[in-house]
This record gives sequence, C-alpha cells and structure tokens, in this order.
Amino acid sequence: MTPEAWLLLAAGVLLLLAVWTGWTLVRLRRLAARVDRAWATLDAQLQRRAGLAEELARQHPAALGEGVRARLAAGAAGARAARDTGDRELAENALGHELRELPADLPGVPAALRTDLAGTQTRVALARRFYNDAVRDTRELRGRRSARWAGLHRRRPLPRYFDIDDRLGGIGVGADVAGRRAS
Amino acid sequence: MRIGLVCPYRWDVPGGVQYHVRDLAGTLRGMGHHVEVLTPAQHEESVTDPWLTFAGRTVPVPYNGSMASLQFGPVSAARVRRWLREGRFDVVHVHEPATPSVSLLVCMIATGPIVATFHAATTRSKWLAAVGPMARPWLEKISGRIAVSDFARRVQVEHLGGDAVILPNGVHVPFFAEGPALPGFGRGSGGPPTIGFVGRFDEPRKGLPVLLQAMRTVVRAHPGTRLLIAGRGDADQLWSMVGPDLRPHVTLLGEVSEADKAALLRSVDVYCAPNLLGESFGVILIEAMAAGAPVVASDLDAFVRVLDDGAAGVVVRRDDPAALGQALSDLLADPGRRAELAARGSRAAARYDWQVLARRILAVYETVLPPGGGVVTAAPDHDFPGVPPTGTAAGPPRIRRPRR
Repeated sequence: MTPEAWLLLAAGVLLLLAVWTGWTLVRLRRLAARVDRAWATLDAQLQRRAGLAEELARQHPAALGEGVRARLAAGAAGARAARDTGDRELAENALGHELRELPADLPGVPAALRTDLAGTQTRVALARRFYNDAVRDTRELRGRRSARWAGLHRRRPLPRYFDIDDRLGGIGVGADVAGRRAS
Repeated sequence: MRIGLVCPYRWDVPGGVQYHVRDLAGTLRGMGHHVEVLTPAQHEESVTDPWLTFAGRTVPVPYNGSMASLQFGPVSAARVRRWLREGRFDVVHVHEPATPSVSLLVCMIATGPIVATFHAATTRSKWLAAVGPMARPWLEKISGRIAVSDFARRVQVEHLGGDAVILPNGVHVPFFAEGPALPGFGRGSGGPPTIGFVGRFDEPRKGLPVLLQAMRTVVRAHPGTRLLIAGRGDADQLWSMVGPDLRPHVTLLGEVSEADKAALLRSVDVYCAPNLLGESFGVILIEAMAAGAPVVASDLDAFVRVLDDGAAGVVVRRDDPAALGQALSDLLADPGRRAELAARGSRAAARYDWQVLARRILAVYETVLPPGGGVVTAAPDHDFPGVPPTGTAAGPPRIRRPRR
C-alpha cells in the first residue's frame, strides 16, 4: 500500500476510536446520572420509612407493647444513624425486620399511618430494585475490557449494590400496598 | 401527573399490548391524570381520540410467533420529537422497547424518567438475541423496568441484562363481571352446554385444532354441546378444519367487539384455552374468570400461574386432545365443581383489576421521578449524534448506530 493509503487507514481507525470513546462517555455519563437519581430516591424512601417507624413508636406505644416499641424505636434510630456512618444495609435490615414482625392488626393505629407505612415499604422495594438495576448497567459497561483499557471514568468509584431484605410483612396484609397518606 | 404512553404496535390491530396500553391509559385518566398515547397504526384515520398521536405506519416482521411492527426513519423520529416536546410529560412509559419500534425510538430521543414494560416471554427469539445487544445503549436510559410476568422478566434478565419488577396485565373486572349474555345463549338458562374459545383461530399456537379434536369426545358425552369461537382468521380454513361431523356443534362469531367478547364469556359454561406455546400471560383467562366462567387451560407456565397453580381452573397437558376432551366432559357433567371454580376464579381475577394495578404502576412512576420533579423532553442534539440542530421536521434527522 502507498503511504497515503496507510495514512487514510490510520485516520479512519482514529476516527472510529474517537466516535466510540465519545459515545461510551455519553453512555457512562447518562448511567452515572441514573445511579445518582435512583440513589436519591432510595435514600428518601428509606428515610421516610424510618420516620414513619419513629412516629409509630412515639405516638402509639399502647398498640405496640413496650418490648416492640423499644425495638422499633431502636431500629429507626439505628437506621437514621447509619445514614452517615456505619453499615447502612445492616441497620436498614434490622429496621425492616422489626417492621415485618409487626402484627397485621394494630388496634388504635390510624389506617392512614398503616397504609402509608405499607406504601412506603413497597416504594423502598421498587426504589432498591431500580437502583440496583442502574448499578448493574453501570458495572457492566465499566467492566468491559475496552472501557477498562481506555480508562474511561477510571477515577470514579464503582457504584455499589444495595442489598436489604425488603419483603412486606404483616403490615402488608389487608393494607393498600400502593397507598400513600394524603398530605 | 402528565404521563406519555408509547405503544409499539398498530393501534387498529387487535393485540394484547395495544389493549394493555389502552386500558392503562383509560384507568389513569379516570384517576385524574393527563395521559397521552403515541402509537403507529395501519390507517391514520383510525387514530381518532384527541389523546392519541399517530406515529406513522410500520413494516410488519415476524416476531415471537406473531407480527411485530418495525418502525424507523426520519419521519417517525420527527414525530417522536414533536410528541415529546409538546407533551411535556413527567414520565414516559414505553412498551416492549427491545424491538426496533417507535418505543425504542422514544428511548433514543427522550431524556428524563422513562419507565418500560416488557411483555414478550419467548426465551429463544432470534430477533431479541440479535437486536437486544444493539438496543442496549438506549435501554440503559430506562429508569424503571416492569415485566408482565415471571417469564417476561426472565427474558429481560437473560437477553437484555437487567432486572424488572413484576406487575401483571390488568383487566377491567366489572366490565366482564356485569352485563348481558349473548342472545340465544346463557349460562344456566337450561340451554345446551357451551364451550368458549377466543383468539386467532387460524394460528396453530392458539391450539384450536386440539380443541376441535377434543370436541369429538365431548359431543359423545354431551350431544348438544356448542363451541363458540370468536376471533380473527380465515373462516373457510376453519370450516375445513371443523369437518362435517362437528359442523352443527360449532358457532363462529368472527371478530367481535370487546362488549360482545365479554358477553360471550358471561354466556359460556366453560372457557377453554388450548394454547400450545408462546403465551406470556393469558389475559383472556383472567377475563373469563372475571366473567364467572370456569376455565380449562393447557399447562403453559403462564396459564398455571394465572390459575393459582391450578386451584382456580382445570389444567390439562398441552397438545393432548384426549385429556382435554375428558376434562371438558367431566366439568360439563359437574355443576357443583363449575360453581366452585367460578367462585375461586372471581377471587383470582380481582387481583388483576386495573384499578389495583394502575395504582401500583403509579407507585413505579413516583419512584422514578426526580425528587424535585422534572419533565421529559427530546434530547439535546449533542446527546444524539447525527441529527441536524433544527431537530423537528425542518430536516430529516439521520439516525446513526453507535460503533462498538
């Protein structure tokens, strides 16, 4: 081949590389934004859940009984504290466990609060699923050999999965799991 | 909430996805939300409602045993852009976006919260295997994925690499539960026993030949039995399949309206779904149960699931005319069992009422909305290479595949 042909070939390869890099960067930026959005939602729902558990423990001690009330309050406080430091998954699991153990009928607790709690737990489960989905897509793309070799987004930490047990317990029985208290 | 729904299949052709989108839109509107639908159609004239937007015509391609609508090109892209810009939706909900359709176009062009529902349940689809990885860069934009069944979710996980929450198809339970029966027929009216079949009867996977074979057993035990068939298809082909011996026992209603279908389901003593393969869900079973018809269905995974593992209906080995005939005869001979199955069926169907499901879908929308609220728009041009800066119909946008 003539030198011109080589040059043309090299230019073509370079162009392809540039287009690929640009496109991959667009995808990575989009995914990073999606992970951030999903995390913000999950965080908000988890905080709401902890807030509702606190409200339940504070305002309806008679319905819960002292042992349950104390454990629920401790679980909610632990979940709040773990937001900044500590193992958040562990703390949220502990709170989730307390909520699941609640009996289906809590005498004296307004239906609105129970509906809100059930609805929030449903939304925690949804938000967690969507967050992990975003993390999976990001890790898949970041983990590709080509992306690793090109060093795209190398400085950014890989997003972590968030794994908690978010099954709906007794509170879901008879409650409207998609519901929300009118605010 | 302002919600934009995208249906990838032709609006004026009957189909499960189309009905899903239509019913979801109707239910959400009934709840006071602003809902618009973008959909292709065979004839532009058939897209009449003000909340419908015509997305263009489609090229049908075989997919998942039936026809999918292939749709790409500058005109469609321009329509999608305009729809997104004018709609100012809080959330856009696309259906079946893994096929090269208007749904995938919306995923390419839209920025903002996108929710997607996956319907297909085939696990060996050449189309999906080929197109899935190519669509991936745009499917990544979807913030919330919904699958209509475990099987649709499995396709999603295996072929497209993502998880999904399972929210089943819905049914307007009251629409099927209450109303008149077909004139001349009627459950418990003392007339001859009737069996119902609804579906494209010339499609072998719907299993009508098996049911016709089974009918020969049934009419020996219950000589007056009538088989009511409703659906699209070639009538001549059907009658040649039926043969002269069964001809007096078969009534062909042809393509019927939704109201007539509901009336048929309310009229029959037993509803039969002899499908052989490829059903993702089985909405018709839920409709039959809502209408109070006891169901006899083949043992497709999706059907067994809908029938509460066989508690709310009779499950028969697929493609087994002898077993099907036996099950139908036994059920026609036992009114007590029919009443019991009908009662269980009604309870099972109530879980799939659109009022219940639409609220759960709304919870998904709320979950993908950014905390401060936002709006879905067409992407800025630097995010979508190959489109001239004027964007809309001013120039034909070219869609370029990314190189990988």
